[in-house]
Amino acid sequence: MRWLPAFLSAALLAAPSLAAKKSAEERFTAFHTKSLSSTPVKLRDNTYRELTGAPRDYTAAVLLTAMDARFGCQLCREFQPEWDLLSRSWTNGDKAGESRLVFGTLDFSDGRDVFMSLGLQTAPILLLFPPTVGPHAAASPEPIRYDFTNGPQTAEQIHSWVARHLADRPHPPIKRPFNWMRWISTFVVLSGGLTASFVAWPYVLPVIQSRSVWAAITLISILLFTSGHMFNHIRNVPYVAGDGRGGVSYFASGFQNQYGLETQIVAAIYGVLALSGISLAIKVPRMTDPRAQGIAIFAWGGILFLVYSFLLSVFRGKNAGYPFSLPPFM
Amino acid sequence: MRSFFSLLACLFVAAVSALSTSGNRLLVVLDDVAEKVNYSKFLADLESRGFQLSFETPKSESLALFRLGERAYDHIAFFPSKSKGLGPNLTPNILVDFLNANGNILVTLSSGVATPTSLVSLLNELDIQLPVDRTGLVVDHFSYDASSAAETHDVILLPPPGPVRPDVKDFFSAGAAASEILAFPRGVGAALGASELLTPVLRAPSTAYSYNPKEQAEVVDDLFAAGSQLSLVSTSQARNSARFTLVGSAEMLQDKWFDAEVTTADGQTAKTFNREFAKRVSGWTFNEIGVLRVNWIEHHLDEAGAANESSPSIYRIKNDVKYTISLSEYSWTHWTPFTTPAADTLQLEFSMLSPFHRLALNPDPAQSTGDAAAYTAAFKLPDQHGIFNFKVNYRRPLLSNVEEKTTVSVRHMAHDEWPRSFVISGAWPWIGGVGVTVAGWLGFVALWMYSAPVKGRAAAGKKTQ
Amino acid sequence: MSADPLQALASAGKGENTRSLLRFIILALIAGAAIASRLFSVIRFESIIHEFDPWFNFRATKYLVANGFYNFWDWFDDRTWHPLGRVTGGTLYPGLMVTSGIIYHALRALAIPVDIRNICVLLAPAFSGLTAIAAYLLTNEMTPNSSAGLLAALFMGIAPGYISRSVAGSYDNEAIAIFLLVFTFYLWIKALKQGSMLWGALCALFYGYMVASWGGYAFITCLLPLHAFVLICMGRYSTRLYVSYTTWYALGTLASMQIPFVGFLPVKTSEHMPALGIFGFLQLLAFLDYIRSAIPGRQFQTFLWLFAGGTFGLGLLGLVLATSAGVIAPWGGRFYSLWDTSYAKIHIPIIASVSEHQPTAWPAFFFDLNMLIWLFPVGVYLCFQELADEHVFIVVYALFGSYFAGVMVRLMLTLTPVVCVAAAIAVSTLLDTYLSAKSPSPPPAHAADGGEGAGKKAAKAGLKSTTKPVVGIYGLWGKGMMVGAMAVYLLLFVLHCTWVTSNAYSSPSVVLASKMPDGSQHIIDDYREAYQWLRQNTREDAKIMSWWDYGYQIGGMADRPTLVDNNTWNNTHIATVGKAMSSSEEVSYPIMRQHEVDYVLVVFGGLLGYSGDDINKFLWMVRIAEGIWPDEVSERAFFTPRGEYRVDGEATDAMKNSLMYKMSYYNYNNLFPPGQAMDRMRNARLPEVGPTLSTIEEAFTSENWIIRIYKVKDLDNLGRDHMSAAAFDRGSKKKKAAKKRGPRQLRVD
Repeated sequence: MRWLPAFLSAALLAAPSLAAKKSAEERFTAFHTKSLSSTPVKLRDNTYRELTGAPRDYTAAVLLTAMDARFGCQLCREFQPEWDLLSRSWTNGDKAGESRLVFGTLDFSDGRDVFMSLGLQTAPILLLFPPTVGPHAAASPEPIRYDFTNGPQTAEQIHSWVARHLADRPHPPIKRPFNWMRWISTFVVLSGGLTASFVAWPYVLPVIQSRSVWAAITLISILLFTSGHMFNHIRNVPYVAGDGRGGVSYFASGFQNQYGLETQIVAAIYGVLALSGISLAIKVPRMTDPRAQGIAIFAWGGILFLVYSFLLSVFRGKNAGYPFSLPPFM
Repeated sequence: MRSFFSLLACLFVAAVSALSTSGNRLLVVLDDVAEKVNYSKFLADLESRGFQLSFETPKSESLALFRLGERAYDHIAFFPSKSKGLGPNLTPNILVDFLNANGNILVTLSSGVATPTSLVSLLNELDIQLPVDRTGLVVDHFSYDASSAAETHDVILLPPPGPVRPDVKDFFSAGAAASEILAFPRGVGAALGASELLTPVLRAPSTAYSYNPKEQAEVVDDLFAAGSQLSLVSTSQARNSARFTLVGSAEMLQDKWFDAEVTTADGQTAKTFNREFAKRVSGWTFNEIGVLRVNWIEHHLDEAGAANESSPSIYRIKNDVKYTISLSEYSWTHWTPFTTPAADTLQLEFSMLSPFHRLALNPDPAQSTGDAAAYTAAFKLPDQHGIFNFKVNYRRPLLSNVEEKTTVSVRHMAHDEWPRSFVISGAWPWIGGVGVTVAGWLGFVALWMYSAPVKGRAAAGKKTQ
Repeated sequence: MSADPLQALASAGKGENTRSLLRFIILALIAGAAIASRLFSVIRFESIIHEFDPWFNFRATKYLVANGFYNFWDWFDDRTWHPLGRVTGGTLYPGLMVTSGIIYHALRALAIPVDIRNICVLLAPAFSGLTAIAAYLLTNEMTPNSSAGLLAALFMGIAPGYISRSVAGSYDNEAIAIFLLVFTFYLWIKALKQGSMLWGALCALFYGYMVASWGGYAFITCLLPLHAFVLICMGRYSTRLYVSYTTWYALGTLASMQIPFVGFLPVKTSEHMPALGIFGFLQLLAFLDYIRSAIPGRQFQTFLWLFAGGTFGLGLLGLVLATSAGVIAPWGGRFYSLWDTSYAKIHIPIIASVSEHQPTAWPAFFFDLNMLIWLFPVGVYLCFQELADEHVFIVVYALFGSYFAGVMVRLMLTLTPVVCVAAAIAVSTLLDTYLSAKSPSPPPAHAADGGEGAGKKAAKAGLKSTTKPVVGIYGLWGKGMMVGAMAVYLLLFVLHCTWVTSNAYSSPSVVLASKMPDGSQHIIDDYREAYQWLRQNTREDAKIMSWWDYGYQIGGMADRPTLVDNNTWNNTHIATVGKAMSSSEEVSYPIMRQHEVDYVLVVFGGLLGYSGDDINKFLWMVRIAEGIWPDEVSERAFFTPRGEYRVDGEATDAMKNSLMYKMSYYNYNNLFPPGQAMDRMRNARLPEVGPTLSTIEEAFTSENWIIRIYKVKDLDNLGRDHMSAAAFDRGSKKKKAAKKRGPRQLRVD
């Protein structure tokens, strides 16, 4: 009986190869039936190897993802529903399997070895294995890789990508389920809002008609826009960044970029300047008491001067070689 | 442009009274000038056809193909040379430059002497392979000259070659008597690559093969090539119509094989066709036959009442235009109208990025003359503005290339070239609408101004209150 | 006593005639200053056209002057976008060219022959003078005191935000468009205040001129209806509004449809729908107004108003449906990217790639409008004091102007006028308050309660802060301090503007100026050198392939046909060029043959450390090409596995084999001792052996290697492929053994 373990080990070694030995046809039928019940097929190491093993006369689209919260893969979780939607609508649209495409999902927790063998550091990764034999056989058995470089993708984008690589085969269209929940909720919210406004109308009306409110809104939005808020919104810049020495640098270096906090500081500066300007132009001349007025002039004028000089110094920080400055921030 | 150049060329030719279309300075490269007695008849024929022969040996220092950047000769004929290379004045690069400068080259080989390396690498560039270690011998055990090569079977007899393809004019065997036979003594066969510039003129019979007499004397292992893959006389014409001919056996040009008597394997004798064949091969190589010339190109508006400017630079979309091209072919002494072979047509492309029209150009007897044939096509321009080309691209084996590109712009409809609104019946309701509105407005104004309220009525109104 | 000299001064300026004379002189001086401060580049370099687009405008103008108006109208340009050509007459805004053409001919008529180039160079400064005057008029409509107008004119004249696009030589549509913008607004306000059809018609006229001049006319097209809509919502519907708006819309739309490039857009595209909608809505309101005056009855009126609202909502819904149904074209790409700010980045890389379509960081705002940026809100707030119709306009304009300016750098232009106006209002209010010679005596009682009464009245509508009446400033020193401070600020502003203009906005990016170590100025003139080379050494119709940035310059300076240029109307064609640049020689050679390219021009800053070169723009070429051929070009292939964009030894194969890389670095390492080749722009040490080219050959390289021109080889004469032909020319022996290639393929004829 000494040869038994050897034999066993040999058998074990042979097992995957045996699995792969199954003809491509029956493998496809097996996976296709499985996908009809639940798609995309949840794969494990061995099933993954079986699905993607050559020779294959079908196409396999496999998503390598990491859904587990531990990995904190935001992109995976965002993309998963789109992926399910795509595979479901495709498989339902093509029950007979004429497009000969199988969708599979391999989670990191189920398929560490595959991730290791592929040497994958990131997730999600979408691989499309072209057929190696049969009418649609591709030149190279190597899988085509979809890159998620620009953000989360919609099912439609993936669909068009897959369809591109599955020429002269049926491409079942995406069918998004009708989102009842959203419509109902929006309806409820709308009607609620309407009734509320109707009830609260007498109280709301003066607010709407009050000039000061509108003035405040206008000024605030102007300050936001002129202090580069849209830039943050479009480039989604960091709020603050640490300088090398562990501290926090409030102002980004360079003329063409800025931080979130920076813009708020600048907006505040503008606000103070504008406020002092307004009070000097409107409030002060309406003061009836000469002493109070004198103090106000002095105070606002001083604030204006100081803050403006600070603004200039900040700007000099942004744009080296800007020659002008005011005391005290020389 | 090309036509202009060829015109200049033929003027120049007329001046020096040579009959080749591209100059008459022929350089003959021999191993030893004394050898030229063997080729006296061939060279005499050339001289009688107006070529100025100058003889050089590869070793001579005075030999230079280019002088001050210009070709010093128009044609070169190489006869077999024992030297391994051809020295610094005939390196392959110089020879390629010679071809690029529209020079023509005739190379003859011999199984006796190894081909010089520079010629071998030149042939390589032209995609012509020679047997390894630069020598080989073509033998045929079925069709050989029984009288001169009873044992060696290395003097091959074959009938004058027909045209390469049915749609190609027959230059080399036309008018050959059935009895005449071509003798190919002790020659080297070459194998041609797939390049479309190559044309085999004389293929070996299917029973011939090439071997290396030194090494493969006893047994022939790995055959270099056999049968019709073995080209005995092959030609190549570069894109600039510079011509190159490889004659596998220099000996077939020697006097002793010109109109000699040969006896075929089955015993009857015949005269050789060599002299005439040599004349035609050299004639083709040195631009005496198969040379096409574009005399002029003209295109114009083909519309009634259009200002009939000739070859304008700009048309409008959907114009009717007419394109005419005039071609001549040179044969030995004079220009003749070029007529396409029966199985072939001259085509015109009107293309931007890709052809929008590809039309057959039909002969136009009205504009043809004694030495030029005009071909013409009339068509309607596409409904697409842009910069288009009239393209005639006629490349056939053994005929010099014709590639003519005439660029015209096709503009859009100008703002005043559309039909006026009142011509379009669909616009009538709107025009009517405008009229009605104006009239109505005027009417309303008139009504308003001349309908003052009646006093009495107003007074009555007052009373009632 | 101390007030006496002031009094004297004031009395000198008392008479209305003297005032208007002074005003006139001051305006003239301001216009002069506006023109003068834009002449830096002319004085420093020469009278030369700047940047890129101006070169096309200049070329078009020359064509117009040479061939007359109708030929210009029907101009089919067969020297750009080869081989497609461009229907130029129908795809440009002719206003600029026609303007300078008219000026040219007018001067001719006056027997003052001026070179058309000088007219083009100096058009922008001249119009900036007019803009200052227009700003003066607009501001005068806002506030009674004309000092505000003069200040606005001054600000408008020297504000860098406007100078950036209007220095001498930047012969661009904006040069005249901003004047038209401001003047149209002035006429609109005038028409609205007087409810006069004449002013409305004038407004429409200048609106038409604006449409003929600049694509930014959409700003007016959207702002005026918005103003009208806000007024309606504030319950300020009036026949004045009705008359002025309907006049403007009817005539203005007709006028705008005369421009071939605009054609039927005003009734087809979304950006014009608001104007149309408000037009219809105004008709409805007018009708209801009539009915209301005819039929009394409270609830009936409420019903009518509800009816109006309902119709408006229905109209909106219909618009949305029509758009989704495709009857009305959705927003055009550039315009749409203003709302959905991430749209362009994803869908239209060609738009995102243009530097002036980037969002604006705050330093840019301060850089362009120094202190105005914080006086701006003050002015807007002051507009809220008595919120007349025209002030509503300023408020609306301020809001949207600042939003657009925040989204797109170039729209700083449209913001600048309102900033100038608002800031001028603010400054003038301050100065009037603190510069008035007479100080109020401490308040007597009746004045106080009189003020109370006034406050009562104001309190209903006005701002809280303006309930109390104005008394004025008591202390002289307070006045002195404030006036002094304001003087300092204004002085600083003038200094800032001059500094910015001379340092930032006066270099004609065709000629680069650099400082030598010894401080002397060194002119780098590679562009013109290269274009001159093209002009003199290539065939008249040699097609030049380059990235689209240089298309206009090649057309203008070298006068050679180009494949693509800055009029980026055909994304596919541009993508073709991008593909040719970013693919290997084997792929790009057929493309170049198909497009009949004779020369390829690349800009290379490696030797000089010039940042605006093609290697830095290369990723955009790749992206745009990938948009059309996602399977053949892939951006990822140009990044190293670690996601870096490198040009040195670690560069990816796609990068090293790309035509652009090869053309940039061909023969570059011969400048350096072996192994020392450095790219000074990217601080990258280049590989030992440089790239080799076989399908193209170097034709020209400019003095500082900024421009490199390559000639595209013809097909090989002996029918070899270029690789082996090049190898043969380099003298390397061709493969000796035919055997190695296995059995020879048999030849069949």
